[in-house]
Formats: sequence, structure tokens, C-alpha cells
Amino acid sequence: MALLEARNLHKTFRLGRTNTVHALRGVDVTIEAGEMVAIMGPSGSGKSTLMHVLGLLHEPDRGTTPAPVLAINGSDVLRQSDRARTQIRARELGFVFQSYNLVPTLSAVENVALAATYAGRGGRAGRNAALDSLELVGLADRAAHRPNQLSGGEQQRVAIARALVNEPRLVLGDEPTGNLDSARTAEVLGLLRRFNRERGQSLLIVTHDPEVGAACDRIISMRDGLVLDAGLLRAA
Amino acid sequence: MMLARNLARRKLRTALTIIGITVGIWALVVFGALASKIDLLVSGAHDYFGNKVVVSSAAGGGGMFPLSSALVARAQVVDGVDVAYGEINTMVDHDAKQVGLPDEIVGLVAGSDRGRDTFPYRFAAGRPLGASDAATRNVVLGADLARKNGAAIGGTIRLRGVEFAIVGILEPTLTLPDSQAFLPMAAAQDLYVIDLPEDVVKSIVPSDTITHIVVYPTAGTDVEALSARLEAALPSVTTLTASEFDETIGATANLLSAIIVGVGLISLIVGGLSVVNTMAMSVNERTREIGIKRAIGGSRRRIVAELVAESGLIGLLGGLFGLGLGVLAVTLGNDAGRESGTALFTLTATTAISSVIFATVLGMAAGILPATHAARLDPVQALRHE
Repeated sequence: MALLEARNLHKTFRLGRTNTVHALRGVDVTIEAGEMVAIMGPSGSGKSTLMHVLGLLHEPDRGTTPAPVLAINGSDVLRQSDRARTQIRARELGFVFQSYNLVPTLSAVENVALAATYAGRGGRAGRNAALDSLELVGLADRAAHRPNQLSGGEQQRVAIARALVNEPRLVLGDEPTGNLDSARTAEVLGLLRRFNRERGQSLLIVTHDPEVGAACDRIISMRDGLVLDAGLLRAA
Repeated sequence: MMLARNLARRKLRTALTIIGITVGIWALVVFGALASKIDLLVSGAHDYFGNKVVVSSAAGGGGMFPLSSALVARAQVVDGVDVAYGEINTMVDHDAKQVGLPDEIVGLVAGSDRGRDTFPYRFAAGRPLGASDAATRNVVLGADLARKNGAAIGGTIRLRGVEFAIVGILEPTLTLPDSQAFLPMAAAQDLYVIDLPEDVVKSIVPSDTITHIVVYPTAGTDVEALSARLEAALPSVTTLTASEFDETIGATANLLSAIIVGVGLISLIVGGLSVVNTMAMSVNERTREIGIKRAIGGSRRRIVAELVAESGLIGLLGGLFGLGLGVLAVTLGNDAGRESGTALFTLTATTAISSVIFATVLGMAAGILPATHAARLDPVQALRHE
């Protein structure tokens, strides 16, 4: 059973009365446990939308035939309530964004602990898990710093620690190195690669950067809301 | 902790909002204390009436027109009357302008109530008037009247230009007796006629003059029916009972209290709207943060709870500051009023506690709308918000 299986995903955005954008036009994606997969494609190809749909941040269009399917670990999440999907985001998924998206008023450890709290581990247990997670990304000594006291690379490592704190089945990255210089990119990429190799962490990364794509097991290529190549040949 | 930090992000705005609530709660506390004082006076007067019937001249004059003391004997034989006795009741100074109860002269024959007056008079100093005081110019003073005049046992006080020796001072009762001076009947009659118009004086005999007849019913007598019988049996009199008092004075006082509390509530609602505004702005600024929290698994309910707790804290702080200022205002006001013998405010624990709870609930209610709106935002759009 695949870790994530998506069939016939469509996503239409209505921008005005006559202006609709078909960001996804029937996408199938399969991710196996332990894979590190890149989604690449030109701007507007639908790769970010795909990641948002797979990350349960957006719902795909309903009413298309055949009906869309989005199964995580075998259960179809499209049939579940917003509350249940929020819990799946908290427990089964981790997110790393291009612009870090840390809560500015919280320290590094509090940002990480927040994700643990949402997954049901509050208080001391959550804080300890957060400290362990920061240790993994090499930021134990920065735990008490606020995001504005950290460099871009450090902030992204805090975000990775936050994504990993609940030991999710899948970590989703939306241009995780997009705001970083090449040295920091190598650092963050190395970190993600290490978690994939050492801990079998499954990763799905949207990127423009061929270097990031090259570090992944396979590349899903997109254009105009469709998957051109699922990259399965190279994986095999 | 996190709550406080979020509030501290926009110090000025949070402070202004808290001040808005503070002013509202301050008004509610002060006005509430004023209303409580009025209620206390009214209920005190009700207790003071007890089950007695007070008969006075139907001619009006605030019940201070003269009656002949011969009517007492006629009242005594009305069916259902246990004890009836005459009393003089008149203002010390008819022109005095003062807040609260006017100073009054009460003249009575000691012991004429035959033990039926059960109002709990307690003496701070001295003694009650007795039969031996009948021909003297001795006086017992109510607590406010004594304090206002700096009176002490053995000292004297001038009432309508006549000097009286102070033999007793009462403890505060929080109602009518506090501003009353109790005189022997004869002395009171002398004072009473001083101010009457000349043609009235010619038509009466001062030593036969009273202003009220106090009637205590026998056990089991219906007070309202008795007051009707008294009005029928005695010429041109009117009667007042505790329930009539409640209907007239009590109803007016309740209306006054309601208006006073209403003014406080309105100012609080204005304060509440400013919390809505603050929370709406604060939510808008934090749209992206709310998007982050939703994305990493924060439930809608949790987002709402967080924001509502924040606005509730604004309400609570405003409530506590408002209560503090209110207590200060009430205390200073009462201290200032004490000089003139009028404590304007009674701050009850109920008023204090309920106003703080009200402020907190108001703050929370004000936060609900912006918070639910925030929780319904699309996480992806919220994340793109700058």
C-alpha cells in the first residue's frame, strides 16, 4: 500500500465572474513510504496547488468523473470532516514553507512545541519533544531565540524541526530552499536528505532548483496542471 | 503567557481598549453603588414602617400639616387597632437643600408606643428619652445629624433657634432615624408651631397639635383594610403603609436605580465595541499567523479559543482597573460626603464581582465574531497574507 495515493485531482480557482483558472486538470500521484520526491515545473504549472491539495490545505474540486481520490495510508481523506483533516495535518503531515512561516512572537522551541501541542502533546512533554527536534537540526543552543533573532537558514531549520516533531508520515516542502543562498541551500538539503536516509522520512518537495531535484529519488514534472512525467523510470 | 505577549504586541491599542472597558466598569461600579444606596434607603424605610399605619392630614404638606391630638383617641377605638399614639414630625429647616434624607424633628411621648416600635435603635452614646424628660429640652440625635454637628453627650444643639441638651446619640441605621432629632412631645410642639402660618396657629392649640398618628394593628389584622377603616373613621386624613410606600417611593426609586445602572451599561457597551474593533484589527494583522497555525494542525476551535481568551483578558483587565477606580471614587466620595452626613454610595460585593465578570464576558463576546471569522479563513490564502 502506497503512503499517499491521489487519483484524478482537479482544482479550479474562480478569480472573477468569467475568469477561472484550472490549476490542476486531473493529476495522479503515488508516493511510497521512504521516498524523497521532487515536484518540478515552470511557474503556473500547478505544482504548488498540487502540494496544497496533497497537504490537505485545499480541497480538490468535487463532482469530476471519475471521482477524485486522496488516500493517506489507505484511508480516503476527502470523505473526512475538516476537523479530522486538521488532525491529519497535525499528526501525519509536516510542512516546510519557502518563507519559513514561524510565529514571530514565539521562540524557536515554542514554535516547535506548538506543533506538538496540536498533535496532542502539550506541556512538558511537548517542550521536551521540541527540544529533541531542535537538537536534530543542530539548533539546541538557539531554542530561546525569536525568529527575528535567527538567520534565514536557521529559521528554516526551526521550521524543519517543527515539521518533524510529531514524526509525521510525510513532510511536504514548498520551495524550502527558495529564500536561501547556495551554502544554506546545501545545508538544508543535506539535512532533509539525512532524515530521509537515516530515518526513512518520506518527503515531497516542490522546487524550481535543479540541484534540489537532483538530490531526490525521483522528479514529478508538471506543466499546465498535468503531470508530464512521474519520474518512475529513474526511480526504478 | 502567550496571551499576554500577544496583547503586548500593540501596546498602545491594547491600552486604549483596556481604558475603554475601565471607564465603562468604573461607571457601572460607581452608578451601581449609588443605586445600591438608594435601594438600601428604600428597603430600610420599608423595615422602618414595619406593619404600622401612619395617619396624617389629607391636606398634604408632605404629611406635616397639623392634626388635633383628639384624633388619637378616636383612632384607638377603630376595630383592629392595638396601639395608637400621636407624633410630631417636621423638617428642621424647610429651605435646606441636601442630598438624601432631610433632617427631621420627631416629637413623641416616651413609652407611648407601649413596646410596639421594634425598630432596632442602638445607642452609640447616652440614653433614650424617658418620662422624666417630658418637660425638658433634651434631645436624642440620629447618627448623621450628630456627626454633622459634631455633637457629643453633654453638649448642646440649636434646632430652629432653640437650644437642646444632647442626652443620647444613635448608631447609624442607614435609614430615616440617622437624620432625625428626637424631642419630648411638648418641646417638639413648641418648635413645630414656630414655622406655621399665623392664621393656622390661631386655629390650633399648640399643646394639642400633632402631625401624625402612628397606629399598630392587633395580631391578625389586615393592614390595608385597617388603613381603609382609619380613613373612614377620622375626618380628612390619609394613611400610609409599608406596601403603599413601596408602590410610590419604592417604584420611583427602582426606576431611578434602573436609569442609573442603564447609563453605566451603555458606557460599558461602548467599551465592548472598542474590544470588537481591537480584536478585528488584531486578527487582520495576524491573518498569516492564523494560517500557519491552521496549516500545522491547529483546529478552528483552538484558534477561536485563543483569540476569545485574549479578548476576555482585555475585558478582565479593564474590569479590574475599573473596579479599582470605582472603589477609589466611592471611598473618596463617601469620605467627602461624611463631612455633611451623607454617604452617597454603598458598594456591595455583588456589584463588584458581577461587574468584573461582566467585563470579562463582554470582552469574550466581543472577540467571538472576529475569531470565528479568522478560523474560517482558507489556510493557503491566510499564509499569503502580508
